[in-house]
Amino acid sequence: MAPIVLEGESLTQRFGGLVAMAEVDFHLKRGEILGIIGPNGAGKSTLLNIISGIYVPSSGEVRLEGRRINGVAPHQIVKRGIARTFQSSRLFGDLSVLDNVIIGRHIHTRSGVLDAIFRRRRAEAELAEAAAHAEGLLKAVSRGLYDQRHRAAAELPQADRRRLEIARALASDPKVLLLDEPSSGMDDADTDALMDDIRAVCAARPDLSLMIIEHDMRLVAALPHRVIVLDYGQKLADGPFEEVRLIPRVQEAYLGRRGASHAQG
Amino acid sequence: MAHASAPPPARPLGGLLIVALVEIVGAAALREFLLAEDWRWVLVLLAAFGAVLVALERRPALEARIAEAFARHRRAATLLGIAIALVFPFVLEKSSYALHLCVIAQLYAVLALALNFQLGSANIPNFATGASYGIGAYASALLALNFEVSFWLALPAAAVVATIFGFLLGLPSMRTKDSYLALVTIAFGVVIHQLLNNLEVTGGPNGLVGIPAPELFGHSFASPLAVLGYELPSQANFYYLSAVLVLIAIVFAGRLHDSRVGLAWNALRADELAARCQGINTTWYKVLAFAVDAFLAGFAGTVYAFYVGFISPDNFTFLVSVTIMTMVIAGGMDNILGVIVGAVLLTLLPEKLRAFSDYRILFFGVTVIAFLMIRPQGIFPQRLRRYGG
Repeated sequence: MAPIVLEGESLTQRFGGLVAMAEVDFHLKRGEILGIIGPNGAGKSTLLNIISGIYVPSSGEVRLEGRRINGVAPHQIVKRGIARTFQSSRLFGDLSVLDNVIIGRHIHTRSGVLDAIFRRRRAEAELAEAAAHAEGLLKAVSRGLYDQRHRAAAELPQADRRRLEIARALASDPKVLLLDEPSSGMDDADTDALMDDIRAVCAARPDLSLMIIEHDMRLVAALPHRVIVLDYGQKLADGPFEEVRLIPRVQEAYLGRRGASHAQG
Repeated sequence: MAHASAPPPARPLGGLLIVALVEIVGAAALREFLLAEDWRWVLVLLAAFGAVLVALERRPALEARIAEAFARHRRAATLLGIAIALVFPFVLEKSSYALHLCVIAQLYAVLALALNFQLGSANIPNFATGASYGIGAYASALLALNFEVSFWLALPAAAVVATIFGFLLGLPSMRTKDSYLALVTIAFGVVIHQLLNNLEVTGGPNGLVGIPAPELFGHSFASPLAVLGYELPSQANFYYLSAVLVLIAIVFAGRLHDSRVGLAWNALRADELAARCQGINTTWYKVLAFAVDAFLAGFAGTVYAFYVGFISPDNFTFLVSVTIMTMVIAGGMDNILGVIVGAVLLTLLPEKLRAFSDYRILFFGVTVIAFLMIRPQGIFPQRLRRYGG
């Protein structure tokens, strides 16, 4: 049984009077792929934002390998080993594909202003090493992306932008990778290719744990080992997708009460 | 490191020729512009420059060819550029006015490069570069007048003082963003201006008078510069001094741009939230941009104070900051060459348009807008970094 890497305990997030998340518990084991599903506004992105430090939960606790991380700044959380992508891809559009991944190596490089000016050789060598690492990573994630490494990121087609976001997040060598709707805006063929890429990434990193927010049920059925269902900021279910999809409350959340009774026949 | 497909080995001379031609024609055009007395000749030169920009915009291949030649022959281009800068005062017909314009243009180039770290690299709208310039000028002048500190010691000291103020401005600014951040920097500029105007140590509105000219190996910068029997006006001393300063600023800017710090600033500019999620401490990098900006501006301020020998608060108003900002935007954000060209052009334009007397500023604005319509991203826009290629 793999040890737990990341866990949340009774996480609650209030925005003024609005409760975006109420008493949610979750855990993620090493090497596991966990799917987060639920209708729009269920609190999926809120959960990701709490874990990556963008939101500080109103109460509850997030622990990475037993160490509490809520209240830690986002850039420190990356250092602790959690990387993420965004639902609306947030690439550095006016920089090259390669530069995007090099920036992902930020926490593994050291040079500051004085190094850059007065110890140029060292700073350059460090950056060259980061560039070499980034190229290897791009090659591993997608050959097509590697061939476009000198293009501006904004010029990439949608599917490649998603891949680049994943490559950039992987550049920090995370223990946990959070993917926020990686397949949004993709057709079936692109989604299939994306699933293959994610499988390849996981195969190359058996210790990497993944949390994926997803709407595409094909992906949810095929990729995650386990899923969590959220609705109105609460956890409805937790388990393998084949079991979870049969639970009436889950069907209600997705299809509405009448739809669910139809589905159950 | 990536080695992009090997460039065609042919035409090495062609590349050198392009580099030499561009630099010499550029310098010759600048000389003509500096010495032009007739407003019609000024307009012809401006039109020619505009035509070159139109050609570059219409034929990207032309621009790519020139950029490639410069990239391949970097060393030759640098050496020729330095040689031209060294010889330039000798072709100005001993005009002290033209040399004076060169000194001011070079100081503005340093200031624009300083602001470029913020505005160009990190997209921080800082309207306080003029204030940092003033802090540098006053700090060095006060050191010289009260403690008889020599120029060469006052120079780094003033830069350090300006940097400390840069940090002081940077820290509270971090609580704000975008337009609000701009407001904080405007307020800082106004506060500095008011302090200089009202404090007794700074001489109030009268400013500081009698700042001694620097000396180097017994040669006073106030006396004419004689080289091999050819005598240049005293402004030439400061021409060379500010040229060295521009060189330092270019080295700083280039090294920072091609470093991890430059990348982090660019990440900040593109998407701050995404930058934080790559492990970049955005607050620290913003404060750093303020400090680097203030450091270089402090340098420029010191040279200015010792050059004119008399400074008052009105030399460092809000308008100076706006002018510097225009130089960066019109020249090309995050492009070192573009920023320098912007600074030189915008320093010389109002001087050369004096024939239009009352309509001078109007014409100045029209010219800047025209250039921006031809090249919406600035005269020389930002370029993607290349590795190995």
